[in-house]
Amino acid sequence: MKRILASVTDGKGFDIGLVLLPLAFLLVLSGLPLVYNVVMSFQEVDMFSLGTFARPFVGFKNYVDLFSQPETRPILLNTALFVSASIAGQFLIGFGLALFFSMNFPGASWLRGLFLVSWVMPGLVVGAIWNWILSGDFGVLNFFLRETGIIDGNIFWRSDPHYSLWAVIIANIWLGTSFNMILLSVGLSGIPKDLYEAAELDGANALQRFFTITLPMMRSTIGAIIALGLIFTLQQFDLFAGITSGGPNNSSNVTQYWAWDLSFRQYDFAKGATISVIMIVFVMLASVVYVRSTRHEVRG
Amino acid sequence: MSDQMRNRLMLAVALVLAAIYLFPLYWMYITALKTGSAMFATPPKFLPSEPQWSIYAHVWESRNMGRYLWNSLVIALGAVSLIAVLGVGCAYVLARYRSVWVDIGLFLILMLQVLPASLMVTPIFVGFSQFGLLDTPRLAVILAIAAKSMPFFVVLVRATFMSVPMELEEAALVDGNSRFGAFFNIVLPLARNGILVSAILIFMQAFGEFVYSKSMIQAVELQPASVGLNSFMGPNTNEWNNIMAYATIYVTPVLAVFILLQRRIVSGLTSGALK
Repeated sequence: MKRILASVTDGKGFDIGLVLLPLAFLLVLSGLPLVYNVVMSFQEVDMFSLGTFARPFVGFKNYVDLFSQPETRPILLNTALFVSASIAGQFLIGFGLALFFSMNFPGASWLRGLFLVSWVMPGLVVGAIWNWILSGDFGVLNFFLRETGIIDGNIFWRSDPHYSLWAVIIANIWLGTSFNMILLSVGLSGIPKDLYEAAELDGANALQRFFTITLPMMRSTIGAIIALGLIFTLQQFDLFAGITSGGPNNSSNVTQYWAWDLSFRQYDFAKGATISVIMIVFVMLASVVYVRSTRHEVRG
Repeated sequence: MSDQMRNRLMLAVALVLAAIYLFPLYWMYITALKTGSAMFATPPKFLPSEPQWSIYAHVWESRNMGRYLWNSLVIALGAVSLIAVLGVGCAYVLARYRSVWVDIGLFLILMLQVLPASLMVTPIFVGFSQFGLLDTPRLAVILAIAAKSMPFFVVLVRATFMSVPMELEEAALVDGNSRFGAFFNIVLPLARNGILVSAILIFMQAFGEFVYSKSMIQAVELQPASVGLNSFMGPNTNEWNNIMAYATIYVTPVLAVFILLQRRIVSGLTSGALK
């Protein structure tokens, strides 16, 4: 007993204790739910069997049912569109801003940091603000678009099924651009300046320098950022709750909102678990890419 | 073109870009001050002609914001304390050693970091209800948030510990400190700032958390401000000035902290995400 105590205060036991306690906590509160999720996706779960562990197993029935539902396909397509459009927008605008702010001028780093306010705000507040900006009759975005002559009539962003998903995408691009920009700035500042000087002496113009130095040197950073973007966009829930609630008629619904909706609005916990399992597998694949590219960065 | 001219021009462009980007925030503050009719004016007014300062007191009273914000604070503080107590030691060990086990531990933690809350809430809700944890819903939410955010905290704090020179700790050990003593007297004080910034980041996230609270807290008296805002925004609402006033009260403290600590937060964040 004394030896164990001594080891805890003054030896290997100290490290093991420090690391095992949090790992056990994570295992119970993240690992077990993960397993439980898979189990539930093979069970029949309703309001009556919610309190017991002994529920009838139904094999792949939930998965088969899920994919035979008419709304599954459009929602999966929505998710793909939401993810790719959000990432493309966040990355391109973020890269442009990062390139601009990487040209040294007084106040650059402070102003750049200011952009991150979009990232620290509660997601639901961002949703509320954009809900109001995107409002059909009195929204300020429609006003700007009308004034600049891009549109003639008002777009009903939230209630028109053709635009509802784009309403959330616009808000999500705004939300994520700053994070992309900050990480890309870090990558840009890591490129040695003498590379550019040498290229300039050799007569390369700005565009050539961008494609032959900046892009290749940023490869692993860009990989990490796109993977992170995928992870963050698949976590985005608050904006859907704050702007369209997945409507109208599922036109702006995506899997991560649908899973919650199935469980907590329609009380179909088995289906909610099933779609969660599918998406979690997907997110984990993305995070393997992310981990690999950050490893590459450090060990290089 | 002289250098000074160039700098001024760049700064002007940067200010314009920042103004465009931060316009939604400006619109929130301005809308809150408008009267019911000014809000729906066409063309919209970009400066309120008769600012309604009394709206904040009105919204605070009528929406019971004190209670909502108190619940947010309880949840965020609870989650941050739990995460800090458990996470700091874990980050320290993962920063101090390099071995296969550390790599495996890091990999597991990074994998847990990416699980979307809206997908994890189904099994967590069912499991918690079976163990009776939903009878204390705020504690249930604190536990769920802690499990979700701890990996991120560990990654951030680990980066801080990496920058504390190991020699200092070894010197303390040679001087007769126990591992315990060296950790609390030497390493922790040196890493204090990084831990604090990471804790503040986690606090901000937990303060705005929505999915878990919305799903697990049924009693209105225990709901945090994010859920309160959600129930304020009905599908056909037209009280946008009140909603924006609510959002202003909710978000201004967070923004104030961010602007004060901006430099530290930005550098802490980037060190964690890319290294």
